[in-house]
Amino acid sequence: MAITKLSGSSLTNINKYDSFLAGNAAYDPGAYYLIERVTVGSGGSSTITFNSIASTYKHLQVRYVSRNTTALDSFLIRFNSDTGSTYARHKLSGDGATASAGATTATTYMASADYPTGTSTFGAGVIDVLDYANTNKYKTMRVLAGYDANGSGLIDFRSNLWQSTSAVTRIDITSNSNSFAQYSSFALYGIKGA
Amino acid sequence: MANTYTLISSVTVGAGGVSSISFSSIPGIYTDLCLKFSLRGNRASVYDQIYLDINGGGTAATARYVMGNGSSASSGTTGAQIALGTGSTATANTFGNGEVYFPNYAGSSYKSYSAEGVNENNGTEAHASLFGSSWSNTSAITSLLIYNNGGTISQYSTAYLYGIKNS
Repeated sequence: MAITKLSGSSLTNINKYDSFLAGNAAYDPGAYYLIERVTVGSGGSSTITFNSIASTYKHLQVRYVSRNTTALDSFLIRFNSDTGSTYARHKLSGDGATASAGATTATTYMASADYPTGTSTFGAGVIDVLDYANTNKYKTMRVLAGYDANGSGLIDFRSNLWQSTSAVTRIDITSNSNSFAQYSSFALYGIKGA
Repeated sequence: MANTYTLISSVTVGAGGVSSISFSSIPGIYTDLCLKFSLRGNRASVYDQIYLDINGGGTAATARYVMGNGSSASSGTTGAQIALGTGSTATANTFGNGEVYFPNYAGSSYKSYSAEGVNENNGTEAHASLFGSSWSNTSAITSLLIYNNGGTISQYSTAYLYGIKNS
């Protein structure tokens, strides 16, 4: 029989709480938040933009898979729409046979590993920016990324420097040539530190 | 992933710098630990070695690394080192960016962990290094001590310790 009426006089040993949290363990929302995810549609996209990034986190992380519409390609990454020669970048790279290192200074963009074209092979990477809103620091980006195309490929461990103490509020990730192909996907996470 | 990633403690270095950064009384309630750090040291160089002592440093760690310095790549062995951080002659206001990941830090086997770090500089020389490390001790990790070759970790340096649960 369904309960259709409940009166106070039918209950015994009643504990009344003013909060639904009473008697329960404290809720821990964790420190790792998805801010936004962008997945490229059928027409492709030349630039992925994360804008109006709040300063409520301590660190940012971008996790991505990417494929180019036409050819092996590289990234152009910029903060806060800054196109000046305010960046530097360095890399440790392996191609399956040889390890190498390189540097580019006083340059106009940051980078991740080159990424492939093809029907189903994507490059993958993780980009970390610690203390992205700390106005006492220039911003250092750490990148681990690569791909394997069954006969070619590479793995890069990279760093990038943006010589600005401004909080990072916008990230533009642009395909150097052509476009990011369909199903390329970029997710921006915020990691709390307090 | 959200509710499995919890900040345990963080440190921001104040004026004058510090000789080390310590995390102690780390509870064994997580599955893994993740240490993130953004450091600058006082070594008179573009880089400054960053080291880590576990549980007071009684057992030395061993490690293999691969490294790039902006012009060439190399590989070798080391001990407690976890990164090449930023030294005092690197571009001003520039700090390194690194992370150490400890799987099963409270388990009863020896502890293997990975470390990665970069130190930036607007010049050809800057270092990117990856470490595979082992701490030959079966104790749970309960404390971590970060220190540098130069002896002083500079103001505004930060370190964050996260616990990661599998549920």
